[in-house]
Amino acid sequence: MAASNMKAIKRRIKSVESTMQITKAMELVSSSKLRKAKERADQAVPFFNLLYQTMSEIASEAVGFHSAYTELRETGAALLVVMAGDRGLAGGFNINVFRRADARIKELEAQGREVILMTVGKKASEHFAKSGNRILGTFDNIGETVTTYTALAMAQHITGLFDQGHLALVEVFFTNMVSPLTQEARQMQVIPVPNLERNPGVQSLTNYEPSPEAVFDSLIPQYLAGVLYCTIVDTYASEQAARRMAMENATDNAQEMIDDLSLKYNRARQASITQELTEIVSGANAQE
Amino acid sequence: MSTFPLQIITPEKVFFEGNVQRVIIRTTEGDVGILAKHEKYVAAVPAGPLRITLEDGSERIAAVSGGAVKVSPEQTAVLANAAEWAEDIDVDWAKRSEADALRRKENSKTEQELERAEAKLRRAVNRLRVSSMNK
Repeated sequence: MAASNMKAIKRRIKSVESTMQITKAMELVSSSKLRKAKERADQAVPFFNLLYQTMSEIASEAVGFHSAYTELRETGAALLVVMAGDRGLAGGFNINVFRRADARIKELEAQGREVILMTVGKKASEHFAKSGNRILGTFDNIGETVTTYTALAMAQHITGLFDQGHLALVEVFFTNMVSPLTQEARQMQVIPVPNLERNPGVQSLTNYEPSPEAVFDSLIPQYLAGVLYCTIVDTYASEQAARRMAMENATDNAQEMIDDLSLKYNRARQASITQELTEIVSGANAQE
Repeated sequence: MSTFPLQIITPEKVFFEGNVQRVIIRTTEGDVGILAKHEKYVAAVPAGPLRITLEDGSERIAAVSGGAVKVSPEQTAVLANAAEWAEDIDVDWAKRSEADALRRKENSKTEQELERAEAKLRRAVNRLRVSSMNK
């Protein structure tokens, strides 16, 4: 009986070991992808900061500044851009952002607004395919390869709809990588452009060509593209960080399991040796 | 000639950072030359060429694709979706992209598709033009 028990334990150890190899490999792949993604995310920051600063300055300095992009319209749908990963096995990474988006959809619908969705990442398109909301576009597998042109095409699609009066509100749901150990699902209002300071008393000395409004409105697609690009890259980096952590835990668990099983295996081995010895000794005793 | 610090920033990277004597950039209102101590100025920039004169007087040309230029006493910055030095432009690729844009323009069904194809075409043509300016 002991021998068959030993065999079974050995087999389990083998299977856990091969699982551990996979999780270990996935952990390493994610760490290297994370490093690249983080670099890209960091490089996008100066551009975006300066763009946003310029827009704030226009809105605050120009006398009688007025733009359709800064005021909330009464009618029109709300567009939620939800970004998640292309694969699972990343802990609560996908679920967290969906939970936020689902809650927001309910809230907006309770206010009587139609909700349209745009999804980034295969997991997001799968999740929202069932929701019954209109899907404006799905962008799968772009996290690793996204360029500013992809983001700009998305942005122009959105501003096109906005200019035709179909949209009132654009919000982005993404995951922010606070550190390689913590990722946070966030929501961000993009249109109407939030938090622009207004101090109408200050006369600007800046010369805007052709006009403050025209410059501001022409920057909107860039701004939107910038937001989309940054959040896509950030979400992708978060996905890798979350997967790295999940895989690290899985590897640790596998190691623990192997240790546990090895102990059991050794016990079974010793038990069988002891039993054999007892049998030999008692056999020898019987002969005397 | 006095120089001033210039930054050309794209979402992918800080494309150029350094002191220059002069910048000539195409805005929606026409070509604008910027020298040191220029007044505060902001303008929208379509796809077009950008020439800078470096400290040593040598000139470099780049293709930028859409954005804005911002001049303030502290800094002069060009915000662009993409920027490429003329000598780095892949002419074959730009030609292919031009052909692709033309085909898309032909086949476009919605106004939006047409607009996007035209934007792509403008970028491709701009690249080719800037690349030939370098010779």
